[in-house]
Amino acid sequence: MVELDRFQGPLDLLLHLIRVQDIDIFDIPIARITQQFQAVLDAGLERMDLDRAGEFLELVATLVRIKAQLLLPRHGDTEWAEDPRAELVRRLLEYELFQEVAHILSNAEADRSRHFEKGYVEPRPVPVAARDELDLSMEEFLAIALRLPEPVPVRPHIAPVQLVTVEDKMTLIRERLSGIRRFEFRKLFSSWKARTHVVTSLLAALELARQQVIRLEQVKRFGPIWLFARNGDGEDKESQ
Amino acid sequence: MTPEQIVEATLFASQAPLTAGELARADESLTLEDVQEAIQSLRESYDEADRAFQVYQLGDGYQILTRPEYAPYLERFDSIPRSPVLSHAALETLAIIAYRQPLGRIEIEDIRGVGSASVLRTLQDWELVEVVGRGEGLGRPLLYGTTRRFLEHFGLKGLMELPRPEDLPVALQSVEAQAGDSPEEDESVEEAGETG
Repeated sequence: MVELDRFQGPLDLLLHLIRVQDIDIFDIPIARITQQFQAVLDAGLERMDLDRAGEFLELVATLVRIKAQLLLPRHGDTEWAEDPRAELVRRLLEYELFQEVAHILSNAEADRSRHFEKGYVEPRPVPVAARDELDLSMEEFLAIALRLPEPVPVRPHIAPVQLVTVEDKMTLIRERLSGIRRFEFRKLFSSWKARTHVVTSLLAALELARQQVIRLEQVKRFGPIWLFARNGDGEDKESQ
Repeated sequence: MTPEQIVEATLFASQAPLTAGELARADESLTLEDVQEAIQSLRESYDEADRAFQVYQLGDGYQILTRPEYAPYLERFDSIPRSPVLSHAALETLAIIAYRQPLGRIEIEDIRGVGSASVLRTLQDWELVEVVGRGEGLGRPLLYGTTRRFLEHFGLKGLMELPRPEDLPVALQSVEAQAGDSPEEDESVEEAGETG
């Protein structure tokens, strides 16, 4: 089966079908070619994107139209209309010409790539791995491999990460507020650099405020945030 | 110092092709003819001495490049990015532009039978084609042509190095004469080295 992906487009496929069957390009059997073209298309159409599929289908439409014109009786014996296939033949020949030029360019490109300009080679370290193939029998290789010491198992390195939880911070806030009426939010984390302390402290403060254990107050934007302890009635605790 | 030595020094120091005019700027006394003669005698002396490099003509520029037989040795060094190897779609599009320039995207797509906007963009990015004007038709479409870089990429002295359509081994007897007037006749510099 012909793979659709191999072809640049519908003309490429059509040209391929004509070439492999050694068809005379000036006498294309339209019905047969249309059928074959359609068969290749059906096999690969699903995997194609819409634009590409459209390009192939357009050519199918052209082929069908040509077939229809061939079937129609021609009027006027004296004046022979142009063969309906002529335009397609012209396009195919033109396309084939440029395929040939593309081939020539490809060869020229390959030839050019064998010439190097100044600056192509840079000083660089000799690669460590040898390019030569290993000249050893399997037995010799095994003998050497078995003599090698066991690889030392690699222990995963565990970084000392201390987990900071919102619960920890909530406890901390409660403890802080047990003796005093209020304190500044920043004090909660100023002794730690890590951002997790800021985030967990904020979440803890918000959670406690939601539970009405504390009240948050900020007098002006970007000003200090104060945490006030509250009693059971939702009132601020009197300082002791 | 001879013109030959001045031209040699300039070509040696350059990493890109230099035109005869550019080379002549090395000294007030140098004429274009001096440069051409100097290149010719450099080429002969490199051949006689069997040097690993030669002066090659790329487009209308000259550059000292290694001879192709040394490629296998140099290819072991891959530290410098190689010029791109073009896709089939890119080659096909370039072929059309080279022979029919200046022409617009629609005409390219008519010939190829497929959409060509993205391949055109890629070719422009690589400076292998450029917009050379605007057409007459609806919306005054952009017209494309090949660049100096195109000739350099393919090691061509000029478009005239591409075969005439009628010399190509395809059944073209019936194709209209239109194809016959390209590639453009290019009266650029006379011969200096083959690149291929």
